[in-house]
Amino acid sequence: MKKENYANAFSVPSLITIARDVHFWIPLLVLLAGLLVLHMLR
Amino acid sequence: MASVIAVRTPILASRLKILQALGVFCGFAAGAWLGGAEAPIKLVQGVISPITISLIMVFGVFLARWSIPALIRGTSFVRKDVAKAPHLVVWGVLAGCMWAVANTLTIYAIQDVGLSIAFPLWNTNSLLAIFWGFLLFNELRHAGWRRWTGVIGGALSMFGGAALLAVASSTHALGGRATHGVVAALAAGVLWGTMYVPYRKAYLTGMNPLSLLTFFTFGELGTMIVLAISYRGTKALWHELVGAHGILFWLMLGGFIWVIGDLFQQYAAKYVGISRGVPLSNTNQLWGLLWGILVFHELRRGGHALYAEVIGGSILMTIGAVAIALSSATKQEHVRWQDAAEREGKKYGVEQSYVRAGIEGKEFEGGENRRTLLDWFLVAGVIAVFLALACMARLPPVDVSWGWAAAITLAMMTLLGGCMIALWRITRFN
Repeated sequence: MKKENYANAFSVPSLITIARDVHFWIPLLVLLAGLLVLHMLR
Repeated sequence: MASVIAVRTPILASRLKILQALGVFCGFAAGAWLGGAEAPIKLVQGVISPITISLIMVFGVFLARWSIPALIRGTSFVRKDVAKAPHLVVWGVLAGCMWAVANTLTIYAIQDVGLSIAFPLWNTNSLLAIFWGFLLFNELRHAGWRRWTGVIGGALSMFGGAALLAVASSTHALGGRATHGVVAALAAGVLWGTMYVPYRKAYLTGMNPLSLLTFFTFGELGTMIVLAISYRGTKALWHELVGAHGILFWLMLGGFIWVIGDLFQQYAAKYVGISRGVPLSNTNQLWGLLWGILVFHELRRGGHALYAEVIGGSILMTIGAVAIALSSATKQEHVRWQDAAEREGKKYGVEQSYVRAGIEGKEFEGGENRRTLLDWFLVAGVIAVFLALACMARLPPVDVSWGWAAAITLAMMTLLGGCMIALWRITRFN
């Protein structure tokens, strides 16, 4: 049964599940690329 | 145990039709408010840096993200909703970070190539949203050739429109800034197009947009503070903020208006998916044009050819968006969405009945979610902040057509009222 609290979002099992989800890496990499573009245009 | 309807059991055809229509309506309302959000920024002139402009806007966004959900459903509802799928807090924060970087890029883009041109360029985010929707969330699967034609044809039309506007930018912008402006706008489009991955994930799982957005805002405010301090330095940033007291109101108002548009966009993404919801809300390009040309007299010194390029490009993009919007999901396609929802639920251990309720736009577990003293405190506090800022605000010497501004605002308010009523009647904001 899931515990119903916010700490679950940042618990190790939750973070491992997120890290194993390939969907997570797509926006993360795009974010890093966006920061690079912003840095170059600044 | 009470029987639970499987996530992938098809929902009633009549309910599906209503939810799709609601999503389309939300998409159009989103377009009006997202477009209107850029207008107050045009009132800001002077030496303030784009990073600081974006930071101040995000302060307005932050206030809106907490006060609007508190007013609509109450923070206790948000707390209960997030507890059902707490992993989405991480996704919300990530999306917020993306939004902040994209928004900063758009400020650069507006400064370099103007609102009328920058808008459609970053609106190419819809092409990316279609791609991610298809690839990751089963959108357009089993959709049939008619819908594929509508979506792909629409996407190509939008691309053509964006290209025409990019050509126009090279004649409109000053010196070598055009390239910077175009790159900034396109990069913002990529960020905003990919930002829908966390959104879609959350809404397929069953989360309420009001809930995701409250956590989203930590990502955007945190990112903006880090960016502003690292790029400007604490001392310079503070001086800039203090010196900008006369324009704080306009920028934060822009952020507040944007949140209203974004909220509608979230509901559109929830009910018609990102492959349709994003193009629909990108009708903000038309509203941006209306504000830019009618209210702020942009392109006044341009020749007929420039007008033709900008208007032609905008029309092409709009035709594309409408074609996509008319290609709404069939029952067969919707079942594939439900497959994706089931997958998400299983992956993160979310209750089936919660996911199912989200798909149907229904309340999960019912119960009272009354507003508390905290909610009213949040709403009153935000009103007080905006009133104080309005008292400090000064109107810069910008040539503005107030009659047109009032007319467009009235149209936006009409859409706001209509959409809020529809959302309440059909889903109770679920």
